[in-house]
Amino acid sequence: MITYAYYPGCVAQESGKELDNATKFIADKLGINLIPMPEASCCGGGVIDGFDKNLKLFINGRTLALAEKDGLDIMTICNTCTLTLSEVNEELINNPESLEKTNEYLAKIGLKYSGKVKVKHILYAVRDDIGLDKLKEKAVKSLKGINIAPFYGCHILRPSSAVKFDDVENPQGFEELIKALGGEPVSYGRRTKCCGFQTILVNEATSTSLAGNAIFEAQEKNADVMVTPCPLCHLSLDTYQTVAAKSINKKLSLPILHLPQLIGIALGGDYAEMGFSRHNVSLRGIMAKVRQNEI
Amino acid sequence: MEFKIRAYRFNPDTDEKPYYKEYTVEDYPGMTVLNALIKVKSELDGTLSFRRSCRSAICGSCAMKINGISKLACKTQVSPEIEKFGIINVEPLANMPVIRDLIVEQESFFDKIKEIKPYLLGQREDEGHDNFHALKEGEKISQPVYYKYEFQNLTGNNDTPNCILCECCYSECGGVVGNPRYLGPAALAKLYRYCEDPRDNDKNGSRLVNGSKPDGMWDCVHCQSCEEFCPKGISPVKSIVKLHERTIKNSITFSAGSKHVVSIAKSIGETGRLDEIKVAFDSGGISGLINDLPMAFGAGLKGKIPPLRLKLIKDMDDIRLAYKELDLEEK
Repeated sequence: MITYAYYPGCVAQESGKELDNATKFIADKLGINLIPMPEASCCGGGVIDGFDKNLKLFINGRTLALAEKDGLDIMTICNTCTLTLSEVNEELINNPESLEKTNEYLAKIGLKYSGKVKVKHILYAVRDDIGLDKLKEKAVKSLKGINIAPFYGCHILRPSSAVKFDDVENPQGFEELIKALGGEPVSYGRRTKCCGFQTILVNEATSTSLAGNAIFEAQEKNADVMVTPCPLCHLSLDTYQTVAAKSINKKLSLPILHLPQLIGIALGGDYAEMGFSRHNVSLRGIMAKVRQNEI
Repeated sequence: MEFKIRAYRFNPDTDEKPYYKEYTVEDYPGMTVLNALIKVKSELDGTLSFRRSCRSAICGSCAMKINGISKLACKTQVSPEIEKFGIINVEPLANMPVIRDLIVEQESFFDKIKEIKPYLLGQREDEGHDNFHALKEGEKISQPVYYKYEFQNLTGNNDTPNCILCECCYSECGGVVGNPRYLGPAALAKLYRYCEDPRDNDKNGSRLVNGSKPDGMWDCVHCQSCEEFCPKGISPVKSIVKLHERTIKNSITFSAGSKHVVSIAKSIGETGRLDEIKVAFDSGGISGLINDLPMAFGAGLKGKIPPLRLKLIKDMDDIRLAYKELDLEEK
């Protein structure tokens, strides 16, 4: 059994609870022991350094130090949390001045960080630490005949100076996982582009056009479903899909899964366990296909 | 070893729509994509059009999309591209109209560079310095001139002055894809470079105020592409974030973007968490809420609503102490 300090991030504990539930479901099936971090704070949503750079270091340095105290690596389920924690980790490991400043603060709350923690997103934790063979072995349903469009988004890939899971120019981790579950990965250009979430409350038109065009391209390539490793992308792609359709003046109707839900249905999770009723675009068609695919 | 180049071709005078043409070229050790294109032009097809000049990654002329990513053709070797993609696929940069084949029209990009006033403000502003101009005979630069290392020591900025205006970041920018009026990474990184120049005489903070207007610094989508794909190792997005920090510290908070960031910081300072409802309200105000009402109502019907009141994280005093230590409690 592999143990991680579990850092779900804010959205998975608030509007995106279905992601947290699906993650716990697959962790249980795959033998991943998730240790909750009730003391961990928000990472700052990818924009906190625009308020104060040192605040980003302090609050995320504290999260890293909490995991280090327990001798654990951190598992994340959100791209932006992954990038923020990874960036701070790199900064603390490579910049002695930043480490000293952060440790002065941490000492006051009884913590210390020395740079031993690794931050892993669940996509790469499953691929590298669990292994795709074990995933295949545990699957009870095949995703055969389903065209699945992987949407990486940004912060799981870029900048590669901080997140180093995959080839930033031509990532394959997602495709490998989809193939391992029997699905057919859809190849499309916008798979590594931006969903626009970071400006959704600032400039909705910019934001939703990015999400809309990605969905439209995947639809044109005959995708049955799109999958994202990030709850922020999921908000842009699913919750805002109707707005995105208006913004690009195209008809959009593509179901969007969180990555752990995709793995979850292959491991036997049902409609209710995966929280599909909380999605904007219905997943019933996909579930009907999966139901026929007993292994 | 032979390899294939698949080139985007389009001549608006004769072609109805763009098409691709393949060429077979013989590789040699160390061959760059630009070497290969020059070989095609001189030996196979003289009509293939592309910009090039220095062949040393200094002038930025030969920027183009190579296997889907904006790169300098002179700095990109053929063999690793073939190893990864099996072909050299060349296309014009994105986010700018195509003039012919791999050549794009650069006016929109340079208009945005001009918009941020890429020169030192001060004495010369009264002299109609809104346009680039060559020094007149006998005219001297009135500001002190610094050596690059002096500027770096003074400001800590050791990357933005290295920009060669090649447009790779602009071509990859998610913000420009979504909003063609957005200033983009190169112009905003330059804005930051001038904001922190100790010689700049921006008395009333006009750079930060103008940069905060719509289509400015707050329209960055944080996609990190500009940093990832800059051929000179510059990180425009980090400059943009520093602009954000400087703007908020100077209390220039009229934009939705700054309100958004302040609200997130406030929410973490109060609860340790990001309060989705409060942040949405603070960023967009009442009009934003009304605009999003149908979407929010739909999500609410599905049970996808965040809690109205957030539970504090455990040991919340640790976070309060971070704010106190950094003197951020009042902000």
